[in-house]
Amino acid sequence: MNLSKEKVNGILVVTIEEKEANLSKSDRFKELIVEEINVGERKIIVSFKNVEYLDSSFLGALVGVLKILLPLNGKLVITELNADIENLFELTRLNKIFVIKNDLQTAMLDF
Amino acid sequence: MNKTILLVDDDPFQLKLYERLLQNNGYVCRVALSVDAAEEILKKFEIPDLIISDYEMPDRNGFEFRKRLLKNELLKNVPFLFLTSVNDDHFIQQGLDLKAIDYMAKDIPPSRILSKINNLMNAVKEHYERSLSEVKSIAEKLNLRNIPLKAPQLKNFEISYFNQTYQSQPGGDFIDFIKVDERYTFVILGDVMGKKWGAWFFSFSYLSYIRSAIRLCVFDGNTSLSTILNKLNRVIFADELLSDIFSTVSILLLDDENATLCYCGAGDLPVLKFDNKQNSLVTYQSDGILLGFSEHVDYTEMEISLHGDEEVYMISDGMIDFQVNDEKKSDMKLFKEKLYDLKVRKEPTASIVKNLFDKHTSQVDDCSIIIVKRK
Repeated sequence: MNLSKEKVNGILVVTIEEKEANLSKSDRFKELIVEEINVGERKIIVSFKNVEYLDSSFLGALVGVLKILLPLNGKLVITELNADIENLFELTRLNKIFVIKNDLQTAMLDF
Repeated sequence: MNKTILLVDDDPFQLKLYERLLQNNGYVCRVALSVDAAEEILKKFEIPDLIISDYEMPDRNGFEFRKRLLKNELLKNVPFLFLTSVNDDHFIQQGLDLKAIDYMAKDIPPSRILSKINNLMNAVKEHYERSLSEVKSIAEKLNLRNIPLKAPQLKNFEISYFNQTYQSQPGGDFIDFIKVDERYTFVILGDVMGKKWGAWFFSFSYLSYIRSAIRLCVFDGNTSLSTILNKLNRVIFADELLSDIFSTVSILLLDDENATLCYCGAGDLPVLKFDNKQNSLVTYQSDGILLGFSEHVDYTEMEISLHGDEEVYMISDGMIDFQVNDEKKSDMKLFKEKLYDLKVRKEPTASIVKNLFDKHTSQVDDCSIIIVKRK
């Protein structure tokens, strides 16, 4: 699972450096983000700017992370989704669960 | 699909040599000059099918590397070989005691090393296939099915369904038909998020809860899909075992007495109807979110009017995943276009299913479709 992490103004910005976010990466992704939550991160942005395809295993991991973060008063914003993925979020009402922003700058302003 | 091998050796020349040997024989290689570099690769990329490591390396040696892998849940079962010039009996024994499949000397001719690797990979594949077929046969004996053998026969509706597994492994899609009496039949299509065995296993928990929720509500004289989904969601939310397992579900309630149909869904893809008069596809999108994410969720049910010969389509997300020019994408629009073309050509139901599951469309997930036709 290729991720890059950066701390900007107290917000952890995680960029998924993969074209395909799928089953083989979902467990690792969740593990890595949960590690960050365990060391105290509460404000997290996940950028999908390099992701072209997202499968349901990865979506499940993403929902799992959010479910852990919310009771801790944390916040997860996802950003830079391609049109197909954004459409999938809308079709399946995941846009009701996640805060989705078009770009990183707008995502940062949401905190 | 080509198997991936991670090669770890501090000697760049040796590394290149084995990399070339393996690549020329169809393997994908990732190479690392140290244990640290290997661990970085393991963090970044997909888990390899085999790891081959030298013993003697600066900083961490091959044994330390192996010990660290054995402590890692995700990596401890990846087949591991030592390929080294340290061939003292004592070292060989120590290496094999670390559950390495083999301890190979670098002075073995490359062709023999390749044969050993090929044999190992074939043995792993055969072992896997044997285990898979055993589990499948046990599941069948126990009548564990997340896809039923047949659909109920109804007066006013005809139900067709089709499910295709991904890479011959069961997946998270599940289908159920619950005919509670002569009047009401529930048609269920769900998809546990995930793939293969993990999702398959949890689909049974979901199926049990759905069956119970429907039966309990019907016993109380309540056939409201909103109520059923609401109760179902609360039970699933409360189940700690399912705390990080989520599922979508679409439910249709067929009233065979009045020939009416009602729909409600949770995080599912829209249900489609082909309107024969208007010659158009109508989309019915539910408003409920995934089961199990939040305790209190409203699920709105909606009537779908269906005239003679008209069909509704329930689909799982695998149906809208396509692989075009080696790139995967989820494309509902493309699915609708395909379905629309088939309908305007007046293809019969069986042909629609056959065409939508055409082998030429590369499948990337398990996929399911249920077609309910008004007679």
